[in-house]
Amino acid sequence: MNRERIEEFLYREADLLDRPDLDSWMNLFAESGTYWMPATEDQQDPINHISHIYDDRVMMEIRRRNFIHPRASSKEWEVRCSHVIGNIRLLPEVAEDVITVTSNQHVVVWYRDEQRLYACRVTHRLQIDGEDFKILEKQVDLINPEAPQQSLIIYL
Amino acid sequence: MTSIPTGDFSQVVTPTRVHRSLYTDPDLFELEMTRIWGQAWIFIGHESQVPNTGDYFTTNINHNIPVVMVRDKSGTVQVLHNRCGHKGAKVVEARSGNARGAFRCSYHGWSYRHDGSLLKVPNEAGYEGTGFDSSNPCYSMQPLAQVESYRGFVFATLSPDAPDLKTWMGGARDCFDNLCDRAPEGEVEVAGGVLRYEHQCNWKFILENLNDTMHPMVVHESIVKAAESYLDSLPEDAVEQRKEAEIIPPFGASYEKFEASGITGFPFGHHYDGGKTSIHADYSVDPDYHSAMVAAYGEERTREIYSFNTHNVLFYPSLTIKCAVQNIRVIRPISVDRFIVETWSFRLKGAPDSMLQRTLLYSRLINSAMGMVGPDDLEVYRRAQEGLASPSNEWVEFHRQYGKDEQRVDRTVGGGTSDLDMRTQYQAWQAYMEGTIFNEVKNA
Repeated sequence: MNRERIEEFLYREADLLDRPDLDSWMNLFAESGTYWMPATEDQQDPINHISHIYDDRVMMEIRRRNFIHPRASSKEWEVRCSHVIGNIRLLPEVAEDVITVTSNQHVVVWYRDEQRLYACRVTHRLQIDGEDFKILEKQVDLINPEAPQQSLIIYL
Repeated sequence: MTSIPTGDFSQVVTPTRVHRSLYTDPDLFELEMTRIWGQAWIFIGHESQVPNTGDYFTTNINHNIPVVMVRDKSGTVQVLHNRCGHKGAKVVEARSGNARGAFRCSYHGWSYRHDGSLLKVPNEAGYEGTGFDSSNPCYSMQPLAQVESYRGFVFATLSPDAPDLKTWMGGARDCFDNLCDRAPEGEVEVAGGVLRYEHQCNWKFILENLNDTMHPMVVHESIVKAAESYLDSLPEDAVEQRKEAEIIPPFGASYEKFEASGITGFPFGHHYDGGKTSIHADYSVDPDYHSAMVAAYGEERTREIYSFNTHNVLFYPSLTIKCAVQNIRVIRPISVDRFIVETWSFRLKGAPDSMLQRTLLYSRLINSAMGMVGPDDLEVYRRAQEGLASPSNEWVEFHRQYGKDEQRVDRTVGGGTSDLDMRTQYQAWQAYMEGTIFNEVKNA
């Protein structure tokens, strides 16, 4: 697998969230794709344990529509992000057309006149789609998932 | 506890309004911590969090007094002050765990049995002849003034004068019964972890919002419209997608629907909306769950359990539960403009896993800091916190349907869009603050 292509994909995804452009970002996901932010360290189960976010395309679609709705008061504040991605590692292949890549990401979020820093380890399971990829699973493990969290209105 | 001096708070609370300083004055906040949080029964945790001897769970009973809930050798769940009898250090630091044998202070190694009594002081010979008496309870990890549980829900109070827990809960206790009766085995247990959500505003805003039925169609309009427009876009056969998305639209229920659900207030500031019906009444019932319920209770009793349908019930000031959804939110103030909300979910014993999964889906979408409902609520609380700095109007009003509240023997009943919930909690606020809250029970 061409490592450069994978890195390029991660940067492209991060750019869409930085803006944010949720319409284009959602299109990076497979139909069965999920976005998961666990609520504890080493959480194995998104269904029988609480998470901060566990969205399938249904919930992503509702979030996307809410994000741009003029009456969403928490979204009246602009939100902008800056992702820095490092420590990119490819995990051993388990299927011919699926790759798993982990990275460390530091995300600065500007929201409600305040700049915040999130640090996380991100795991992407990517379906190889010709020259491109589709996201099957994106898992965002915060370093402090158990801490009291502040409102976060954007995907990291 | 020293007794609470009485005072006159009629300058800041009237039957239809409260002064803005209740939300902004740090000195009033400190008084609330002593007089409200220092007297009321405060929710600590659930017995299922400490199933075995030595299992513990730590929290604060108000903004800063640390306590530990622990199951002792006899199986009793204790709530102890988390303070070493020696130099005062917190003895238990972890949020939860098991203390095999004893608690041990990490400073000088004093150790305590699970009932809080002092077990051992290292190198005790040095105390000989000094007048130090290790059997004096002041050197133990002292139990709270009163500790009781109801159907597994553990409460404690710093006040020796508070009436027993059942009396204090009054008719709102029906909600605990309903939550537990929704389990085929008649019991619930904490499951699936906790969400902690920081709120940068006064703690009372969330209590006021629970049964404020004039806000959902405004604050949550966007997410309801987003869900509805998505539902409209789905093909007929998209059953799974519909099922998932149906959690959201009830938040946009009409004024008429909320009005019909009614609000009921109780002594000590408790209240709920709903009863006969609520915005949670129309969720589809899982067929496997329904079968388990009918097998346990029979058809008629099962219908009766479903039909008691509250939306939010508040046990003033620390706990709110959603019986029909099986989750609770626990409030802990930190300062005049900051508090934490914890969302805990429950498994209905004897119910299929799908029920817990649904509860967790609900908690995630609605109560998470990354959810689709909570952040819009918090946004308006914060705007209220910021707006109340303005001296242009000293008062916050709650006149809606004032004069129409119907007083019954043990409760007050009113329209679902009334401000009865506000009047109920601020009557209690005033009586707690003036030190008269327990007078009636004392005299009864």
